[in-house]
Amino acid sequence: MSEAAIRTEGLTKHYGKVEALVDLNLEIPPGEVFGFLGPNGAGKTTTIRTMMDEIRATAGSASILGMDTHEKSVEIRKHIGYVPGDLAMYPNLTGRDTLMYFANLRGGVDWAYVDTLAERLDAQLDKKVGDLSSGNRQKVGLIQAFMSKPEVVIMDEPSSGLDPLVQRELQKMMREVAAEGRTVFLSSHTLSEVQRVAHRVGIIRHGRLIALETVQALRSKAMRQVEIELDRPADVDVFRAVEGVTDVRAQNNHVVMTFGGDMGALLKVAEGRYGIVDISTQSADLEEIFLTYYQDEEASA
Amino acid sequence: MLANVFLKTVRDRWLGWMIALGVVWSFVLLGFAAYSDLDLSILATFPEAYRTMIGLRPGMDAGALSIAAIYGTYGSLTFAAMALAMGAASIAGEERKGTLGLLLANPRSRTHVYVSKVAALVVLTIFATAVMWAISIGTASMMDIALGDLDVMALNVHMLASTLFYGLLAVAIGAATGKRGAASGISTGVLAVGFLGAGLLPLIEGGEKWAKLFPWYYFNGSEPLYNGIEWGHIALLVGAAAVFAVVGLIGLLRRDLKGQSVGVTIIDRLRENPMTKKIADRLAGSARVSSIWLKSASEHQIALVSACSYVFFIQLMLGPFYNALPKEAFEMLAQLPEGLEVLFAFFGGGDMSTPAGFFQIETFGMMAPIMVMLVTIAISSAAVAGEESKRTMGLLLANPITRSRVIAENTWAMVFYASIVGFATFAGTALGALIAGLDMSMWNIAATCVLLTLVGIVGGALALAIGAGTGRKGAAVWGATGVMVALHVLNSIGSVTDGLSFLQRLSPFYYYLGNDPLNKGMDWGHPVVLTVIAAVLIGISFPLFQRRDIRQRD
Repeated sequence: MSEAAIRTEGLTKHYGKVEALVDLNLEIPPGEVFGFLGPNGAGKTTTIRTMMDEIRATAGSASILGMDTHEKSVEIRKHIGYVPGDLAMYPNLTGRDTLMYFANLRGGVDWAYVDTLAERLDAQLDKKVGDLSSGNRQKVGLIQAFMSKPEVVIMDEPSSGLDPLVQRELQKMMREVAAEGRTVFLSSHTLSEVQRVAHRVGIIRHGRLIALETVQALRSKAMRQVEIELDRPADVDVFRAVEGVTDVRAQNNHVVMTFGGDMGALLKVAEGRYGIVDISTQSADLEEIFLTYYQDEEASA
Repeated sequence: MLANVFLKTVRDRWLGWMIALGVVWSFVLLGFAAYSDLDLSILATFPEAYRTMIGLRPGMDAGALSIAAIYGTYGSLTFAAMALAMGAASIAGEERKGTLGLLLANPRSRTHVYVSKVAALVVLTIFATAVMWAISIGTASMMDIALGDLDVMALNVHMLASTLFYGLLAVAIGAATGKRGAASGISTGVLAVGFLGAGLLPLIEGGEKWAKLFPWYYFNGSEPLYNGIEWGHIALLVGAAAVFAVVGLIGLLRRDLKGQSVGVTIIDRLRENPMTKKIADRLAGSARVSSIWLKSASEHQIALVSACSYVFFIQLMLGPFYNALPKEAFEMLAQLPEGLEVLFAFFGGGDMSTPAGFFQIETFGMMAPIMVMLVTIAISSAAVAGEESKRTMGLLLANPITRSRVIAENTWAMVFYASIVGFATFAGTALGALIAGLDMSMWNIAATCVLLTLVGIVGGALALAIGAGTGRKGAAVWGATGVMVALHVLNSIGSVTDGLSFLQRLSPFYYYLGNDPLNKGMDWGHPVVLTVIAAVLIGISFPLFQRRDIRQRD
């Protein structure tokens, strides 16, 4: 059986009294693009820095490719590529110098592949990193993560500063990595990006994992926006009584609501009282799911 | 005026000034304590040339001696260095950090921002000088040290004018070019060359008029401590500072602001030229990134070259210079009673009547160790703490390398560079002595330079250990500098105060010059002690770095 590419068990990190990460359990199989979602300060970067052995867990453990991230950190790093969040590099080196430096520390890379990556991302490697715009600097960071064809690519907000075309190319690169049986751990708050490439999504908030689902399951659970046009002015209270309906607004013959229940039941109620002229539904994207999750959390908090 | 830019600049900088003040004040205090029980009537017998060099006067007492020696060297140099650092950071520094654009996005003109920054520099300098004056006078009266006719106020006014000169020189270069490195580098050069030029040239027959070429002359050349304020000199310094301020403003108003972009170096131009591309690429590109230590080394080339050329040329010139000194001075010095070496303790001690003693006081005592440590502390503080402050450590350690390797390779770079500075010092001294036909043992020069290298490595190792333990570059640079300065003072105090001579042995500087290696050669125990200190500091750096979290923010 195949080993998990990334596994965390009860991973916890405290900074003094601040609980940055609490009891995180994850298991990510090889060949998966895993999306790690959360708002700023949720604990995404803390998780990644713990996996990279930059910081040490207060409790619990993490392993990559079956090796403990602390005990075997050097061995692990032979097999991973990493794009830190808020990427900083050496401003006085050119992109190529930077890549050469890391390549030397890795014991060499395939330079033809580096050139391919540079071409795909439209990166400028002969300029000093300090003279590049943040997006172009990010490209250099991406190349260094992908250039050694690592088993696991760990990326913290990798598309920051990239234009939409390059973002799309990056998504393509991630899918290719997964298709080759390699693994991508993608931390992001750009939900549309995660939605396009990830197989599963973990949502983290205040250092706690609050959801772990496939993208499909999340979406099917989702609230939908339902808009019904009736043959006469609508009474909101009629719709408010239906299970799963929230946030009803009515304007003349139109009624708009957020709905997360049985569509048949809703239609039955509508048909019982009015004639239906038109109906449209919009399936929510992750953005809305995301907000829904957080609103729920906030309400229960 | 833009009150908030002014206030923010003051707030960012006042702590540094307070620390500088504390350091200078503690020197004054130590000076009072160390010199207070000496019988100084012998000073009257000193030859004129000799007295002027370290600001001595017949009838001088402990207070005068401390204030002259400390204001004349440590104090005024520290203040000039503070102003210079602040000046270089004010416009060019913000530009380099990329915050100047943000600042100017507010509805404020460049002139407003510039004037606020300059005002902050001037106000802080005036404030620090005033406090310095007050605490010197206060401490002297508390310790019952009579300052008599000494015009401490005049000395402070001169120090203020001189400090403003260097501060505004740095502001102007930074504002006109946007290059922080140029601002601090050029003004430091002017300061260092002036300090030596104005100090040494008056010793030669007819050299006084040449000394006037150096700005430092206008700080102490008129001996304001005894003669009161020399308004002509003050006017020159302040006038020059005002001209700098205006030139800086004009430059700033006329040019494009730089982004966070890095400067174009000579090697960059060579890399762009097809004729030289290949060789320049090899020099700058593939070679410097082939390993961690080579990259660290290449990033400190400028520091290395500056330090080496400085020590080499100074040492080279000191030989012939020694011959130019009036000979009767040496004859008289040879007859001086025992115990007077205390006067030179702060400069590293040494017997001025021999070439070896002269070299020791002029450079080996202070300048040479400063130059080596400039390089070793820079490279060691950049090694761990610098990478963390710049947030590149995470990326570096994403490669399959251990944290220990980062420490080990940087240690090697530091040791290698210290050795080069040591060798440059040796080459300059030996050549200078040969040219001048001085009676100096090459072996002893070599031994002294080995010890110099080792004491520099100790300073670097301390910066490495602090950086490895804290991840803070400021702590590494200033912690190591502060501790080494304190240890230098400890050694000086220990050497002049009988009851405190045990203190000397706690200072690495004792194992550097304590046995008078230029005259007596190597005491083999001393390099061993220095090596052990360095090894322990480097040794603890490994576990210190290994155990902690990498810092992500500054």
